[in-house]
Amino acid sequence: MRIRTIVAIGAGLALLSVASFAQAVKPEDNQATRAKGKQVYERACLLCHGVNGKGDGPAGWFLGRYEGPRPRNFIGGSYKFRSTPSGELPLDQDLFRTVTQGIPGNMPSYGGLSEEERWQVIAYIKSFNHSFKGAKPTALPLPNPPGPPSDAGIENGRKTYIKYGCQKCHGDNGYGDGKEALDGNLKDTYGLMVSPGDLTERASLKNGSSAQALYRSIMTGLDGTPMPSYADTIGGNDKDVWDLVYYILSLSQERP
Amino acid sequence: MFTRVSIFVIALSIFCGTVLTSLLSPEEAQAIPAFARKYNTNCMDCHTAPPMLNAFGQRFLENGYQLPGTEDGGSTGKKKLGDLNLDDVNQYLGFRLVGSAVRSWNFKQQNPPGADAGVVENKTEFTFPGIFLLYASGTAAKNIGFFVDVGHFVSGAGAQVDRGFVTFNNLGSHNLAHLRVGRFDPNAFSSYGTVRQQFADIGGSQKRGCAAFTPCAFNRVGLTPSAFATKFYGLYDRSGNALSPFASSLFNSGAETGVDVHGRPFGDWFLYQVGVLNGASENVGDSNKGKDVYGMIRLDYAQSDYFSASISGFVYQGNSNAKVQTHEDVNWNRYGLSARATYMMVDVFAAYSVDRINKIPTGVAGLFDSTATGLTIGADTYVTSQTLVSLRYDNLDAGGMLNQRMSTSFIDVQVKHFLRANVAIFARGDFNLRQSEGGDTAARNLRNTFFSGIDVIF
Repeated sequence: MRIRTIVAIGAGLALLSVASFAQAVKPEDNQATRAKGKQVYERACLLCHGVNGKGDGPAGWFLGRYEGPRPRNFIGGSYKFRSTPSGELPLDQDLFRTVTQGIPGNMPSYGGLSEEERWQVIAYIKSFNHSFKGAKPTALPLPNPPGPPSDAGIENGRKTYIKYGCQKCHGDNGYGDGKEALDGNLKDTYGLMVSPGDLTERASLKNGSSAQALYRSIMTGLDGTPMPSYADTIGGNDKDVWDLVYYILSLSQERP
Repeated sequence: MFTRVSIFVIALSIFCGTVLTSLLSPEEAQAIPAFARKYNTNCMDCHTAPPMLNAFGQRFLENGYQLPGTEDGGSTGKKKLGDLNLDDVNQYLGFRLVGSAVRSWNFKQQNPPGADAGVVENKTEFTFPGIFLLYASGTAAKNIGFFVDVGHFVSGAGAQVDRGFVTFNNLGSHNLAHLRVGRFDPNAFSSYGTVRQQFADIGGSQKRGCAAFTPCAFNRVGLTPSAFATKFYGLYDRSGNALSPFASSLFNSGAETGVDVHGRPFGDWFLYQVGVLNGASENVGDSNKGKDVYGMIRLDYAQSDYFSASISGFVYQGNSNAKVQTHEDVNWNRYGLSARATYMMVDVFAAYSVDRINKIPTGVAGLFDSTATGLTIGADTYVTSQTLVSLRYDNLDAGGMLNQRMSTSFIDVQVKHFLRANVAIFARGDFNLRQSEGGDTAARNLRNTFFSGIDVIF
């Protein structure tokens, strides 16, 4: 009898704790959506990003202590992770990707929120920055990667890596130990020191580590950090960009 | 104050620490301990300085090891058994190794009357490690979490499960009620938690071979936070073993078996917690004729400007949870307040508790002070990006048998240097503020201590 009671209580508790998975399309960005997004924000985002979206939440200071990156300032801060040209606002899909995937080493994935909740909170986050009102940011073209990389292509990527000075920050072998990094010259727009990505450690790349994600990072840059956009330089030569992408990917395979 | 040999060893340990620091390249840790690995994030998402939690980490804990505002257990924890690999396992397993490589005790009088021979001696010794903890925790499914913590005190015998419990979260609606069942830390959610201290617990040393229900002298007082301590002299467990006035107990025992519920039904500003316990912690013993009950509320302010603050109050009602030397049961209760404020690199916290024996047994009437209080005030602050300085003040106004009780006041200082976010070396000193008051009891005899060691959480 006692065992049955315990099992029944356990089953009841398990049932109570199981909630339905909401599968939703992107809701319309209106007052009701933002109001729901505010509730999600206050539960999930406020502790780091602060009640007013300034990135000054009570837990925000500890993320980098005296170093960057700190949590995003949604009011006026520039957005790192975009598919749009440098200096422009991100697409909603960019924000959705960041919320869903998180930022390795800094922000956990919020895939645990329902899709609807993620869209709602994005609508609310955008309300902090008036520039989003009426803005129609446009994505840079993001082509599909060409066929499998060749040795010659990777060698060309290595030359491109050096030609455009990637090694100054990322180091000769991509460990993120370039001279500029070691000299402490790399700072974000808040004056906080930032570390360049370790290209040999794919999981640590904040804007994603797929070939397309690397292509995107090279072309858009990471605004607010020393990582510039190369759209106006290397961007005219798509082959060089892809060779560079494959060279970067080869660094993580070659790591002992 | 320190002997010449002590000074040499302390200097040597500081030198070794400095060399170690210079050899190990300091860097920001990325995703090392289990939860950080699981979420591919930084230790500092949840901690002010490990093991102390920041506001985000606190809400993560309250939510049954799920990200605040989510019920993500299922999305990160669900996998077919055959698909599991080591990467999955290490998202649930972690360990902590903390211990002093060198420690030094300084007493006013060596081997005073009543103390065990050879225990109370001014000495500096090498000793490592002190405590090894292995834990497994996470979410078994959406809104179902678990935690198991196996501790091995190297100086003691064997290992034991310190805590082991299951959580059922977000019952009814989000954040309405979270249930814990098992052996857990009752004081995990108040403003000043019991087990998350920058200062490792230094237990007292009791004279060996004392007969049951007889006064038992102490060789050395303990250095636990006074607000959490037992505070009474002349209390015994049901076997007649004298309880240490310096051991953490009741709401602050760190591990008790029972059931409790907590939640934030009115928003982030208010937390409630109620629970029922066996009240039979090994630390304090219990005749366990009835269950102990407790309730806690906490008010929070955590919105912006890198600032958070909270204040908490609790009531713990014991039920035949100790005995006096006449073998009679007593109801031993605790009432307490705690508060904490964190602004950028500064973290300040305090706890004050009053312990009361509600009805003094007739056998010790007139011989027993039924009230004792403990005050602990602490502060941690980063002085560089990797160096944390901690201060703590403790005052214990002891109660219990009038002919035994002795109050204590200590101040503790610690410098902890984080080589990585999860690896730190530390140097610590504790100073008896009442050493000039005279007497040769343990509370007066210990003058100061020094500890230096390492704290690794992986």
